[in-house]
Amino acid sequence: MINNDKRQRLLGFLIPNIFAITTIAITKSLVTQGAEPTFIFSEFVIIPILIGIISAWFWRNLNLKGSVLSLYSCYNIFFVILLSFVFLREGVICLVIVSPLIFGFVITGAFIGRAMFKRNDTTLNASIITLLLFVFIVDSLSKHNYQNMVSDTVIVNAPPNKVWKNVAAFKKIKQKNTFWLFRMGMPSPMETTVDGNYVGAGRKCIFSNGYVFGERIATYDSLKNLTFDIVNQPRDPEIMNHIDILRGQFLLKDNGNGTTTLTGNSWYKLYVFPVWYYDIWAQSITRNVHLRVMQHIKELSEN
Amino acid sequence: MPLLPHLFDSQLKLWLLITNPEIQDCLDNIEAEVLSWEGISFGMHKYGGMQFNCSGKEIGHIHSNGILDIRFNRKIKQALTEEGRINNHHIFTNSGWVSFYIRKKEDGEYAIKLLKMAYLKINSEHELTTGSLVPGLN
Repeated sequence: MINNDKRQRLLGFLIPNIFAITTIAITKSLVTQGAEPTFIFSEFVIIPILIGIISAWFWRNLNLKGSVLSLYSCYNIFFVILLSFVFLREGVICLVIVSPLIFGFVITGAFIGRAMFKRNDTTLNASIITLLLFVFIVDSLSKHNYQNMVSDTVIVNAPPNKVWKNVAAFKKIKQKNTFWLFRMGMPSPMETTVDGNYVGAGRKCIFSNGYVFGERIATYDSLKNLTFDIVNQPRDPEIMNHIDILRGQFLLKDNGNGTTTLTGNSWYKLYVFPVWYYDIWAQSITRNVHLRVMQHIKELSEN
Repeated sequence: MPLLPHLFDSQLKLWLLITNPEIQDCLDNIEAEVLSWEGISFGMHKYGGMQFNCSGKEIGHIHSNGILDIRFNRKIKQALTEEGRINNHHIFTNSGWVSFYIRKKEDGEYAIKLLKMAYLKINSEHELTTGSLVPGLN
């Protein structure tokens, strides 16, 4: 038979995780039914804080040191991540990206909880929990839509007519990846093919794991502007399911000295929130996709 | 950014747990000592960390990387600076705020001394304005 302290300790791991998985399941099945699979702010901020607070409630009489509370919170986070892997079918790279947020907010919740239950002010504690649940409900019922554009520029030591030949389509990129997420296994662009040089022509961007982005040329302004809409993109447990690339563009500017300024633009839509966290990742990943392609175009054009 | 400082502070806590858990124990001891004083309450600091209050005023706060921030008047700050253990506040360098970096277990005693000074100062101010010490303080 386990004593009361052990039972409380165990419940501090068990109940918050059951709460988290149940809440996310209810949100996914009821609130986002029929809509795009969006992961909202509350799922990455409010739920982790509540996990921490609930744990702290079960552990309130154990007089845990700050270091032990942090360590126990880490155990809880590993359970959360494991459950996300099993039930939400998240990929490893997604879980790596989300981890700093979950680690931070579960620990924050645990220390908020510890402060709350030391004060033992029932009215204040009830107000905090009610406020968090209120934010969760409002956030769950709100529309979420975030689009952004990333732009990068490379100077190519070749005139526009040489660069343009390598913009619409290019042969396989042989250079090794330097971006750490690509090296971890995130798909990176490898090759592009095009059906023709006209508006409406199909274009395919092939990624390292065989993913193919289907594209259609929207603007074909020779030596100046190639714009294409993404008409088909793979669905994958990794990052691909949380971001849609909407449109891509290459702009060429003749510098008049035998060099060309090549600008790559991408428009995307995020399905993960909060934006202040995930957009940093989205911009970084998009930028590295740009740079890999644009460096390749530069090399092809200069040789 | 809502909750961003707290997210950052929690990550500092995690970093401290990995690199120097002894300091986290030291912060616990400081917390336990300060909370044993009459009229003290504590909560989360708005920029992350643990904040101690007395009679509605902040005594000081400790960020999770072991930086203790306390506000004194310039005269006391000058005297403490001459002792050579405190620094200007890590952001508000020209204010009465001071920062003390808790880097080893032994720094805990000095941190408690600084907090006690701030606590007694707030109590004496409270006594001057209201004619009584903070509730619960004899």
